[in-house]
Amino acid sequence: MSHVIVVDLGYGDAGKGTVVDWLCSPRGGSLRGAAPVHTVVRFNGGAQAGHNVVTADGRHHTFAQFGSGTFNPGVRTHLSRFMLVDPLALAAEAGHLATLGVPDALARLTVDQDALLTTPYHRAANQARELARGSGRHGSCGMGIGETARYALSHPDEAPRAGDCAAPRALARKLALLRDWLAAELGELGVAAGAGGPAGARGPAGGVPSVEDLCVAYQAFAAVVPLTGPGHLAGVLRQGRAVFEGAQGVLLDEWRGFHPYTTWSTTTFGNAETLLAEAGQAAVRLGVVRSYLTRHGPGPFVTEDPTLELPEPHNRRGRWQGVFRTGHFDAVALRYAVEVAGGVDALALTHLDAVTGQPVRLCRRYLVDGQPVARLVPGPERDLAYQERLTAMLLGARPEYTEPSADWPSLAGQLLGAPVALVSRGPTAADKDQVAPLLDQVTGTWRRPGPVLLARASRAGCRPRRSGS
Amino acid sequence: MGSGRWSTDVYDAAARFRAATGASAFAYSDGGATRVHPALDPRGVTARESRDSAEHPDSVAIAVLFDVTGSMLEVPRTLQGKLPQLLGLLLRKGYVRHPQIMFGAIGDATCDRAPLQVGQFESDNRMDDDLSRILLEGGGGGQKTESYELAMYFMARHAATDCYEKRGKRGYLFLIGDEMAYPRVKASEVRAITGDGLQSDLPLTALLAEVTRRWDVYYILPAGASYVGDNEVLGCWRSLLGQNVIELTDTDAVCETIALTVGLGEDAVDLAEGVGDLGDVGSAAGPAVARALAGIGAGQARLELAASPDDLGGPSGNVRL
Repeated sequence: MSHVIVVDLGYGDAGKGTVVDWLCSPRGGSLRGAAPVHTVVRFNGGAQAGHNVVTADGRHHTFAQFGSGTFNPGVRTHLSRFMLVDPLALAAEAGHLATLGVPDALARLTVDQDALLTTPYHRAANQARELARGSGRHGSCGMGIGETARYALSHPDEAPRAGDCAAPRALARKLALLRDWLAAELGELGVAAGAGGPAGARGPAGGVPSVEDLCVAYQAFAAVVPLTGPGHLAGVLRQGRAVFEGAQGVLLDEWRGFHPYTTWSTTTFGNAETLLAEAGQAAVRLGVVRSYLTRHGPGPFVTEDPTLELPEPHNRRGRWQGVFRTGHFDAVALRYAVEVAGGVDALALTHLDAVTGQPVRLCRRYLVDGQPVARLVPGPERDLAYQERLTAMLLGARPEYTEPSADWPSLAGQLLGAPVALVSRGPTAADKDQVAPLLDQVTGTWRRPGPVLLARASRAGCRPRRSGS
Repeated sequence: MGSGRWSTDVYDAAARFRAATGASAFAYSDGGATRVHPALDPRGVTARESRDSAEHPDSVAIAVLFDVTGSMLEVPRTLQGKLPQLLGLLLRKGYVRHPQIMFGAIGDATCDRAPLQVGQFESDNRMDDDLSRILLEGGGGGQKTESYELAMYFMARHAATDCYEKRGKRGYLFLIGDEMAYPRVKASEVRAITGDGLQSDLPLTALLAEVTRRWDVYYILPAGASYVGDNEVLGCWRSLLGQNVIELTDTDAVCETIALTVGLGEDAVDLAEGVGDLGDVGSAAGPAVARALAGIGAGQARLELAASPDDLGGPSGNVRL
């Protein structure tokens, strides 16, 4: 089967949703003789994702947990065990899709029983912790993703998982344990169980629903959505073509991002490759980049330029994420992303319409203490101290710009070492053009280009110095 | 809303999942809920606001509150299924450019769990969420009275509209039911339901003077309810609201009736045109609406209608006014 993994190489918001929608549409891969996409698989993050898709007739949905292919009739969504699932937000999202003429989103959904649940208790704890950080906020989206991951690390067997929704007694016990544990740590949040009346049940950030009310909702979820066991996804992957839809971006990766301004999930191809390997399958690795760079919230952003005013219909300042930032094309950071992601087979270059006629520039290297830096050298596996030094270095780096010497697709392909296969000039599938083959038209399998070339880029490489040295 | 992009309200979620397994549009109520949905609880609400925005600079507030007690039989379910069409109908026909619609429900403060439920004014289909959250009572006192006065009290004192405050233009308040209001607003009930401290009871006539300063108030008596055609009920409302009392012989035509009433109030259409519009959009409600609005529409329209019943687009083709 010719599967494809879609990963954002930047800080998120590059347009994964619209690329996944295109891949699932008749204009996408299925035109080329391959089978239509059967399932979109989510393999990281949770309900905090915000993947915007606009249909040809103007309907707009921000996909959070449903796969971004859902507008295409029959395309299913599978939330793998790497997802953090929020059933309450799923219900509301399905409700919005129904108003857009997609009444059967829930009927096209399966969830791995081992996926962690994100609950209102995690969310209340997340928001209180983030508020307590004050000006040192990390740019959390306030959805409880970090708390879910944190709790699961300390309580691997007691953390509520999707499969528990079908087991009422275990569910109630685990929810009560979670609530009490968070209340013991963060009592000042007002994580008060079983708020007596309607007003209390839905108060400000501190008000949380009772275990009983949550159990009712989660059991209703389990009655509608099949909760699948080991081997289910492998079967799906052997039967039909899948698009693996990543969330956020490689530069936010929990281990490879610029610590501590990262997310609690693996945003590289890693999780998707693990799932594929379990099924004995492989996939094309498609990296998505904008023609410029954006970032939500704080953290390093060397090419940031507040004077760039590019149209941005769907991203606004989030209460928990902070301001939406815009900057120039940063080949240094994106090459680092390609490298830590293990290379990409092809690129999708989005938002070309937004840069047309705009003073968007190209950064091929930084200046750090007067020294040029063209490559950020990846550190050892899981070395957050190294990542933190990288962050410190980037916060002191200055961009060196050149004017774009060719068209953006050629430049991006040259600079990132993989062909641009898809360009996007607008929000709908019709605004996308395939400019290089993604699929071998004869065999219907994805064409794998050669390995990513990084040698040229690494000549002026630089490792961050150890702090104090 | 929760903090994220999609609501994480636990009651909404349970109701939606149940609706996906089962069959009911009245998801919250049929989900076994026994108390007012927190989003519709009037307690502690300072004001439901209908405000102008860049997108909707000339908002017109339209509030629709309907009786959900037992005497209404199956009517509330019909209304819940039909009312989501109201916004589209108003916009399609250009009767109002920037309507902001609020839905609510009326029970009986003397015996019900949900004497008053109030949604938010919305300019898009979010008000449908409120509609699905309405708790159906099914009880009711059997005394031909429900707490309509509490609904009017709330709309008089706890609704803030830019159409009135900025432009001195009244909004539209529709009360749908089949019974009479209690003769006075009881301070004790107001305290229990909204939290307001009233010094004393408020006579209905005084309240009416207050509420009609900000709202054009209409009462709609739908077919299929217990007290249809009851002269005591109709007489009571006519003495309060004059010609703004509408007998609706086809409950399915409720949105068309409300939309056309607003269209007439906005001078955007006359009755004959409006009934013709209904035919244009494929509605079979023309004759029922024409009958219902005969007292409100212009006399001239009445003659035209009688003269050319074939233009009405309704199934009967026979309109008697």
